[in-house]
Amino acid sequence: MQEARTSETTAGAAVEVREITKRYGDRVALDAVSFTVPAGVVGLLGPNGAGKTTLMRILTTILEPTAGTFTVAGCGQAEAGEIRRRIGVLPEKAGYPRVQTGGEYLTYHGRLFGLHRTQATAAARRALESVGLAERGRSLIGSYSRGMLQRLGIARALVTDPSVVFLDEPTIGLDPAGRRDILETIRRLSREHGATILLSSHQLADVEEICDRAVILNRGRVVSAGTVAGLVRGVEANRRLVVVVPADRRAEALAHARAAPNVQHVHRAADHPSGITVVFEPGVDPDVAGQAVLRTLLDAGIAIRRLEAERGTLSEAFLAATEADDR
Amino acid sequence: MHAAGHRPRLRHAWAVVAEQELRDAWLGGRALALIVLFSAFLSVVLYLLATNTALNLLEQREAVTLMSQLGVAVGAILALILAADAVSGERERSTLEALLVSPAPRRAIVFGKLLAALSLWAAAFVVVIPYLWFLGHGIGIAGEAAAATLFVGTMLAVALAGLGMTVSAATDSNRASLSISLLALLALVAPTQLPPAAQSGWAGNVLFRLNPVTAGEHYLGRLLTDGHPWWQDISWLLSPAIAAGVLLAVTAVSAESLGLRGWRH
Repeated sequence: MQEARTSETTAGAAVEVREITKRYGDRVALDAVSFTVPAGVVGLLGPNGAGKTTLMRILTTILEPTAGTFTVAGCGQAEAGEIRRRIGVLPEKAGYPRVQTGGEYLTYHGRLFGLHRTQATAAARRALESVGLAERGRSLIGSYSRGMLQRLGIARALVTDPSVVFLDEPTIGLDPAGRRDILETIRRLSREHGATILLSSHQLADVEEICDRAVILNRGRVVSAGTVAGLVRGVEANRRLVVVVPADRRAEALAHARAAPNVQHVHRAADHPSGITVVFEPGVDPDVAGQAVLRTLLDAGIAIRRLEAERGTLSEAFLAATEADDR
Repeated sequence: MHAAGHRPRLRHAWAVVAEQELRDAWLGGRALALIVLFSAFLSVVLYLLATNTALNLLEQREAVTLMSQLGVAVGAILALILAADAVSGERERSTLEALLVSPAPRRAIVFGKLLAALSLWAAAFVVVIPYLWFLGHGIGIAGEAAAATLFVGTMLAVALAGLGMTVSAATDSNRASLSISLLALLALVAPTQLPPAAQSGWAGNVLFRLNPVTAGEHYLGRLLTDGHPWWQDISWLLSPAIAAGVLLAVTAVSAESLGLRGWRH
């Protein structure tokens, strides 16, 4: 059975989504979304209303898709019970019973996964330790800070050692210190538990910091997907080179740079009165193209005062992907 | 980590949910507060039965019947109140999603909660026993009254808790769930306020028989006040029994589609 399931999915994919569509009446929340999630920490990015939470809820068997198929941890969508046994989930809007202790709460959830009471108590203790809440396990949840509640939610997601963990906006509403703690916790959990983590967020810095790969959603569609490094590499900023030349030779430099190979366009640099910005064509190695531009300028006898190669961010990759889609 | 094939199998999820819900209800104080209020209410009624010039003219059998009927009606309403909060309350507190992503079957979740709601009826019955004994032991009907109260009350409590649970599963807020449930209950109790002439005609008879609350109360009256043997008016228990069965079935069916939001979504 396990072999049959695996053969239908992409080898090694912890999550595989094929043409998932979700409609609410006339409104299309997800439109033929497809992607695969291998092992590691994978970010699911998108602006508000992009369909991230809807997708998370479909993959965690809370919602049913209107069309399309998916597998999670080797189980198809028809095996909702099996999927639930293999996943851990931190929902976006997670509430907690204020009059229970953190330990009691996790023990209860462990028992819901079939653990015997003593096993569940031990698992709860381990989960609390792994998120740094061991000392507050006997305190009422009502006394927890927001950051502690988020860590408790992550502990609940981990209490039964899941194969795949879904974290929906784990750092939302946290102060910088709380955010740093949560990201550190997630990074450590990925390393120590070996679970695949699908992290939904619109905090691009969070994803850039801890994710190996990212899927960008916009208006219910996948507009970009790949490794975080690959997505960042593709943004225009990585193809930009600012060259500062003597002010009286700027016009000449502009003309020579335009003639260089693999240059898409050249314009006056906004921040430098005597600088030009060179943008290379997509797909070319910016180092090689940059050397060609410099050689062209030097051959024309134009002195180069300063060079600034810009570095792209995931934020730019995100904006580029979503804005291109919006157009 | 658990290997995929060695993950523990979940058995008796309903019992795990029921245990947790019982802890929440009783140790959290909600159920205890309702039972204390119920006990105070019965004490006031008992005091009035003993001192009020109108009520203390009731025959002792009638006083036992009144206490039994009140115990059944109010005890079942308490179960309805707790059931009406069971799912919509989780939605309101945003705790339902964590429950729904566990492997516990939806039906087990709902029936675990239903059992916890019925614990209020069980506690209400225990509370009403001393009152029945106090009023009925002198005329030898205390045991009969307790047995009839338990039997009729359990049917009505199951029916009303099933009603509350079904409404709760279909609504997004506690307020809406409780309001709808209590409105439905008022509709069931309303026929008792009809003028005697309307109650005694054939139409009134049919209405009283179809309505599980009035039918159950009527049976208690015939049994305890009129002294009829328990089987003579058993047909009056048909509608409470059917209501309990039907509402349990509706609860079970609606549990299967239990989701993050109510029906209007």
